[in-house]
Amino acid sequence: MKAQRISKIERATPVTIIVNGQEIQAHAGESIAAALLAAGQRQISQNNKSSAARGYFCGMGMCFECVATVDGIPNVRTCITEVAPGCIVDTSS
Amino acid sequence: MPQKPDTTEIAIVGAGPAGVAAAVTAARAGASVTVLDEYARPGGQYYKQPAHADGGPTYPNSLASNIEQGRELLEGLSHPGIDLQCNTLVWNISADELVLDLCGPAGARALQAQCIILCAGATERVMPFPGWTLPGVIMAGASQLMLKAHGILPGKRFLLAGTGPLLQITAIQLLEAGAQIAALVELRSRTEFLRSAASLWRYRDKLGQGFANLQKLLQARVPIKFGHTIARALGENEVSGAVIMRVDGDGRPIPGSETTLKVDTICLNYGFTPATELPRIAGCEQYFDQDYATYATSTNDNLETSITGILAAGETRGMGGAEVAVIEGQLAGSVAAQQLGFSPPIDQNELFDKRLQARAVAATLGKMFQLKPGLCALVTDDVPVCRCEEVSAGEVRTAIRNGVVQLNQLKPWTRAGMGSCQGRICGDILRQIVASETGLPLQDIQPFTARAPVKPVPLEVVGGPVADTGTLTWEDHVGGYGVART
Repeated sequence: MKAQRISKIERATPVTIIVNGQEIQAHAGESIAAALLAAGQRQISQNNKSSAARGYFCGMGMCFECVATVDGIPNVRTCITEVAPGCIVDTSS
Repeated sequence: MPQKPDTTEIAIVGAGPAGVAAAVTAARAGASVTVLDEYARPGGQYYKQPAHADGGPTYPNSLASNIEQGRELLEGLSHPGIDLQCNTLVWNISADELVLDLCGPAGARALQAQCIILCAGATERVMPFPGWTLPGVIMAGASQLMLKAHGILPGKRFLLAGTGPLLQITAIQLLEAGAQIAALVELRSRTEFLRSAASLWRYRDKLGQGFANLQKLLQARVPIKFGHTIARALGENEVSGAVIMRVDGDGRPIPGSETTLKVDTICLNYGFTPATELPRIAGCEQYFDQDYATYATSTNDNLETSITGILAAGETRGMGGAEVAVIEGQLAGSVAAQQLGFSPPIDQNELFDKRLQARAVAATLGKMFQLKPGLCALVTDDVPVCRCEEVSAGEVRTAIRNGVVQLNQLKPWTRAGMGSCQGRICGDILRQIVASETGLPLQDIQPFTARAPVKPVPLEVVGGPVADTGTLTWEDHVGGYGVART
């Protein structure tokens, strides 16, 4: 696993989110992209035209490379959207 | 659909250093201020706060002080005269009536102000190379955001590449957080670097900071490769390595100088370009900033744009950094309050002086760390330049050979700039490529025309409720609008 939560830093309440059917541990206040990275998932979307793997890039909601379907809503920018307990994230389409 | 717009005295777009400083100054002068920001929390990128409250003190040194500075500034937002509206995108501006169109938790609506201050910030500048779209290639600022907001190291073994001071600062923050740094690749040669440092002699504290940063990196045995560039990211579905190359004085990679590094994350930064979409939609005059080789919003010394009632502060007004942004925010807040008849308790002359000095430093830094045209050689014909629409450099060059010299002509020809990011990533890159292919000065290549909505919003927000699609509701858990469809 490449990305990691820095151990010294206090974190808010743990929450569980569901990514492509799998449970992932996150913390309240984290962005979905942060939770995905910490869980070892670097590919978040695929390019519409070439299907090439894309992931976290600008980190500020500008490049739209980290979009996923969240609770049925498509094209949600995961880098600026916080996790909610039990939210369902689909990065497969 | 058209409802009567809400009203406010001063509307401020952006809650970064400039916007917050402007809001606090204007509110303390007695004005009613509405601050609008696209993100869930104020601070912008530079003063991004930890996602969990009070996480600051446990952060490594360099991050903790940045977070603490930001917290102090942001405390000012608790002033009763300030209405802070987060998760609110300003997607259009009308100069005639000073109306902003908003999309946020309170619905799609309009806000009319007596005065508008635009503090929209900036975008990181990058140059493409083979493999730059792989997951694991990120902007340097994006790695800082992961650290600051979430306390997450976005990788294990890093390469930092580009030019300028942000790379060094990011490297230090990553190191303190426990990262391994395979190399820091700086476009400028050691000689150029030292020579340009000499141009900072007047600003001894900046120079001192710069050398202290370099020293920290050398002590940590981070290999600093002057006069080098990233040439290729390696990997199938994510980064597993990188190739770096030496460059000549123009930034052109020297064949045969390739070195391969094993890294999992590549952080890029070649400086920044100002976010100017809203001022351009409003019709505010732009100027070409020679020091940063980019267009920015013109203002007079009072930070008033060419449109009456609209001011601009911070990066939107021209790249300058957080220090400039705070000073200009204070000045713009004070000028706006004065226009409305309040007497700001602040010495404007002192601000004018501070601003000139801070701008002079920023101009020197801009000149020191410009992009070099030879980097376009890395953008080989097979490299996608527009990441959204996957338009290759080859397609762009074919269009240029057929006579296209402006970005607005490239758009219908190639689809470059027509994706979700609306040209925010590729616009500056395309200008570099057109300049290198045609020999035209960058100044003669206009940016894409800015159009509303400045970022994608649901169709219903732009056109009002669409029949048979259900009701538009704010989806709190995803921080965006959704239409309940059955």
